[in-house]
Amino acid sequence: MPRKIVKSKYFFEEDFIETIGEVSTEKVKDWGPNSQLKVVGKSLSRIDGYDKVSGTAKFSFDISLPNMVYAKTLRCPLPHAKIKKIDISEAKKVPGVLAVLTYENAPKIPWYYGMSFLFDPHLRYEGDEVACIAAETEQIAVDALKLIHVEYEELPFVVDAGAAMKPGAAKVHDAGNVVRGEPQIYKRGDIEKGFKQADVVVEDTFSTQVEIHNPTEPHCSVVNWDGSRLTIWDSTQGVFSVRDAIAGYLKMPASKVRVIKKYMGGAFGSKLEAGKYTVMAALLARETGRPVRIALDRRAMNLAVGNRPGSVQKLKVGAKKDGTLTAMNHYSYGAAGAYPSGAGCSRPFRTLYKCFNVRSEEYTVFINTGRGRPFRAPGHVQGTFAFESIIDETAEKIGMDPLAFRIKNYAEVDPASNRPYTGKLLRQAYKRGAAAIGWQDRKPAGSGSGPVKTGLGVATQIWWGGGGPPAYATLKLNRDGSAHVIAGSQDLGTGTYTFIAQVAAEVLEIPMEKIQVTLGDTAVAPYCGSSGGSTTAPSVSPAVRDAAEQMKTKLISAAAAVLEIPGNQLVYKNGIISVKNKPDKKLTIANIVRRMRERVLLTTGARNANPSGYAINTFGAQFARVEVDTYTGRISVKKIVAAHDIGRVLNRKTLENQVHGGILQGLGFALIEERVMDEFTGKMLNANLYDYKMPAIYNVPEIEVIIVSEGDAKISNTGVKGIGEPAMIPTPAAIANAVYNAIGVRLKSLPITPDKVLMALQG
Amino acid sequence: MNNFTYFQPKTLQEAGEMFGKSWHETTALAGGTDLLGLMKDDIEAPRNVVNLKSLPGLNRISYQPGKGLKIGALTSIAKIASHSDINKRYPVLAQAAKQVASPQLRNVGTIGGNICQRPRCWYFRGDFHCLRKGGDICYAVDGKNKYHCVIGGGPCFIVHPSDMAVALLALDAKLTVYSGGKNKTVAIGDFFVLPEKNVRRENILLPGEIVVDIRIQELNNNTKSGYVKFAERGVWDFAVVSVAAVIQKNGNALKKGRVVLGGVAPAPWFEKKISKKLSGLIPSEKNLDEIMKTALVDAEPLAMNEYKLPLAKNLMKRLIGELTA
Repeated sequence: MPRKIVKSKYFFEEDFIETIGEVSTEKVKDWGPNSQLKVVGKSLSRIDGYDKVSGTAKFSFDISLPNMVYAKTLRCPLPHAKIKKIDISEAKKVPGVLAVLTYENAPKIPWYYGMSFLFDPHLRYEGDEVACIAAETEQIAVDALKLIHVEYEELPFVVDAGAAMKPGAAKVHDAGNVVRGEPQIYKRGDIEKGFKQADVVVEDTFSTQVEIHNPTEPHCSVVNWDGSRLTIWDSTQGVFSVRDAIAGYLKMPASKVRVIKKYMGGAFGSKLEAGKYTVMAALLARETGRPVRIALDRRAMNLAVGNRPGSVQKLKVGAKKDGTLTAMNHYSYGAAGAYPSGAGCSRPFRTLYKCFNVRSEEYTVFINTGRGRPFRAPGHVQGTFAFESIIDETAEKIGMDPLAFRIKNYAEVDPASNRPYTGKLLRQAYKRGAAAIGWQDRKPAGSGSGPVKTGLGVATQIWWGGGGPPAYATLKLNRDGSAHVIAGSQDLGTGTYTFIAQVAAEVLEIPMEKIQVTLGDTAVAPYCGSSGGSTTAPSVSPAVRDAAEQMKTKLISAAAAVLEIPGNQLVYKNGIISVKNKPDKKLTIANIVRRMRERVLLTTGARNANPSGYAINTFGAQFARVEVDTYTGRISVKKIVAAHDIGRVLNRKTLENQVHGGILQGLGFALIEERVMDEFTGKMLNANLYDYKMPAIYNVPEIEVIIVSEGDAKISNTGVKGIGEPAMIPTPAAIANAVYNAIGVRLKSLPITPDKVLMALQG
Repeated sequence: MNNFTYFQPKTLQEAGEMFGKSWHETTALAGGTDLLGLMKDDIEAPRNVVNLKSLPGLNRISYQPGKGLKIGALTSIAKIASHSDINKRYPVLAQAAKQVASPQLRNVGTIGGNICQRPRCWYFRGDFHCLRKGGDICYAVDGKNKYHCVIGGGPCFIVHPSDMAVALLALDAKLTVYSGGKNKTVAIGDFFVLPEKNVRRENILLPGEIVVDIRIQELNNNTKSGYVKFAERGVWDFAVVSVAAVIQKNGNALKKGRVVLGGVAPAPWFEKKISKKLSGLIPSEKNLDEIMKTALVDAEPLAMNEYKLPLAKNLMKRLIGELTA
C-alpha cells in the first residue's frame, strides 16, 4: 500500500481548499478509452433503482423509530425584530406537548460564525427560529406553536441588496451592511491601458434573481440517544461534516456521534452544513428521552435553508476589430442574507477567455432575508449569464460570429495563473455542439417573420470539478467472491452507489450483482469529503479503484504463495487466477481465501494527489434553440445541445440524468424561478411551490448530450471530473443569447418572464 | 388547520340548513382542491364543513339537441373535458376544462367548486391581513402586483382564478341556485361580484345557497367557440390572461359574438366593446387590429402589470382569427 502525506489543492463550492492528506502513490495503468472497458462508462441502471421505484428506499425523511416524537419550529413572522417577551405556558399545557425550547431555556450555542446563537432573541429575517416544540404528533406540535405568545419589538429592515448599500439604510448588523466592510477586488494587467487599445468598448448592466434550492426531500433529521451515544439520520450532503459540527455544538466526542444518510431527494448545495433543526432535535430528544423527528415544511424550505444570492453586474468589455479582447471590468453586488455567505460571481469572468487586463470588484451585503448557501455552481450560473451575454454583444458590435469570437479568445492556459490545463477539449465541444444544433443556419438577430420567432444561442462553461484527496474507500472481499465497498461519501441521488460498484466490478472482474455498496454512515465508513463542488466522482472513484487494485494484487500474491509460483507468472481474469500458459492450473477467489483461513479480505484505497503545476477544470458549451411568441412573450426552449469536457464518463445513463437535471434547473433560472419579496413588509410572497414556479415536465426541451472527453489521465487513476455543476452553468446564458437572436432585443434581467419580453417588444 | 365537524348531507334541504348566517361558521366542500389549501394555510377556519359530493344526482351531464346542455354542479372537470357532446357542441368549455390545473386536480375538482374558488393573490393567501380577509389595506396596490387586475379593481385588486367561469360567461350560461327550499335561476353574468360591491366575497351566494346545476343554450350551427389560456409555466398554472370567445358567422362576415377575458379583473370580464364590434365584422388581420384598439380602454394597470394589455389584445386577436379563419 504505497502511501504518502502530501499537500493538495482543489476547488470546493466557493473557494480553493488546500488539504494535507494521505494519498495513494500506487501507479496503475491508465484505463484508456471507455471502449476498452467492460463496465465503466456503460449506460447502466442504478443499483438502487429497484429500491427507489418500488418505494422501499428509506430516505432520511422516511425514518420512523418506535416511540418517536415530532418537533416543529416557530419562526419569526417579521424581517427584523427583537423578542420583548415570550410566553410558552399555554403551549406547554397542550396535551401531548413534551418540551418547548426558546432562547430562555436552551443552551447558548453560538451560530453563524459566532454572530448569533441557536436561539437568538435578535431575529434578523422572516423565518428565523424562535422556538421549537416536541410533541406526540406533528399536528399537536403545529397547533401548540400557535399558542406561544411572542411580543416583538419591530426593527427597521432592508430586503434589497441595492437598498442595503445606500447610506442610511437599515442596518442588519451594527458593523454595517457590507460583508467584511469592503469589496473583494481582483486584478491582473492594466485595464486602463487595455481599454485604450480597444476598437470597441461595450458596457452593460445585468441582474439575476434570488433562486431557492427547493429540493424534493425537505431538510430533516431523526435523532436518537442511546446512553451517551447519539445517532442522527440526516438529509445531508456531508455525513462527516454534520457529525463534527453536531459534536462541537453539543460538546461531545465525535466518536459518540453517528450520522447516517442512505438516500436523499436532492440538495443542490443547501444541505452542505449542519442545520439548527438537527441540534434542536438532539436537545429535545435528550430532554424527552425519546427519538425525535424534525422536518422542515415547504415554507421553511423557502425561507430558512439557503438560496442563490441575486446579483447586479455592471460589465465593460473592450476588444479589437479582429476580435482580440483587450480589457474587461466587472462590478457587482449581491446579498448574503442576514448572515455571512458569498454573493460573488466574477470567477468565470476572470477565467473563461484569454485577456491580460482584467479587474473585478464585488460586494456582498447583508439584508434581512434568509442566508445564502452554495447552490449548484455558486456564482458561476449568474456570472456566466451576464458575461456570456456581453460577450455576444461585443461580438455583434465588431461584426463577428459569437462562436468565432469565443474561439478567437480561447485560453490555452489558465488566464489567472498561467498554468497549463491537465486537459481542455473545449474546441471539440464547440465544434460538435455547433454541428448538432445546426449553428451554420443561424440567422441575424430578429430577422424572422411572423409572430413566432426562432433563435439560436451559445454559452461556454468553466468550472473546477477535479476533486482531490482525502477520500478513502474500504473494500471487503468475501470467500464466495462477493464484495462490499464502504465509503464515507454520500449519494445525493446522482448515482454514487452505482459508479462505485462499476469501478470495483471493472477491476475485480466480478459481476455488479455481487457488489454491495455502503455510503453515508460515519460509524462504519472511512472518510470522504462532503458531496459538493462536483467532486464526489472525481475524488471517490480513484480511491475505489485503488482499493480494488490492491485487492487484486493481494489475491495474486496469495495465489503465488499457494501455488509456489512467482506472482509475475500469474494471470487474473474474471476472478480466477491461472498460471500463464497453463490454463488448467488455476485458483478461484474462494480457493485463495479459504487457503488463507480468512473469510473477508480487506483493503483500503485512497485518492491520489492532484498533479502540481496544472489547472484542473471542466469545460463545456451549450447551444439553445428557442421559439419566442411575440404575441404572448412566451419563450419555448425547443432544444439544448450540451457538449462537455468532463474527463471520463463512469456511467452514461446517470451522467445523462445529471445533465438533464442541470439543464432543467438552468432553464428554470433563465425563465421562471424567482424569490419574490414584498419590500414594504420584508416578507417573502411566494414561499410555496405554486407561487415559486419551477419547470414542469411540459417545459423540458429536447436535450442532446455530447461528451468530448475520454478521461483525464493526469489527474487520477480514473481520470474522472464532475458533471453536476457544469451541466447547469451555461444553460441560462445560452437561452438568453438565443432569445436575443430570435427577437433582436436583449433581455438583461433574469428570469426572462413573458411580461419582460412583451414590454421589451413594446419598446 | 383548525378542527371542524364534517357533514355529508343527503338532500339539498338538509345541506342548506346546515349553514348558519356566516361563511366563517360553515363552508361547502365541492371537491376540496382549493378549500383544503385555504384551511391548511389558515385563510379559512370554518367550524363545519359540508361535503356537497354526498348529494345524489348532481354530477351528471345531459345534452339534448335543440334544448342545450345541463351540467350538475358536482360534475368533475375531467368529465367535462372528455364529454363528447361538449367537445363537439361547446369546444370553448371543453378546452377550458382541459387546461384547468393538472389531471389529478381535474379528477377531484368540480365545476361548481371551480367557479366558487377563492383568489390566488399572494397577499390574500399569505400572512397578510388584507382587505379581503377583513383588514384595512390592499397590499397589492403598492406591492408586487404583476399578477393582479388591470380593470374592475379597487379597493381590492385580485383577479378571478377560474378558467371555467370565463368559458361559461362567453356561453351566457344560467346557474340554478338552491336557496331556502327552492331553486332560482341566476345568469352567470350576475353571479360574480366586484370588490367595490363586496370586498370579502367573489360571488353572490349567501350562506346556505348552493349552485345546483349550470345550463347552456343550444348554439347555432354556424357558431364557433374556443378558449385560449396563457399561463407562465404553460401547464399546471393559473391564467395570467385567458380568452373565451363564442362567435356566430354569417358568410364572410361575423353575425355576433361574445368575448370574455380571464385574469384581467376580479371577475370574468365580458369585453363589451369588442363583442359588439364583432357584429358585421369582416375578420381580416387589419380589421381585428383596428377593433383591438378599443379593447380594455378603461383599464388602469398597476405598476407591474401593464403587459396584460398587449397580452389580452394579442390573445383575443389570435383566438378570433383562428375561430373565423
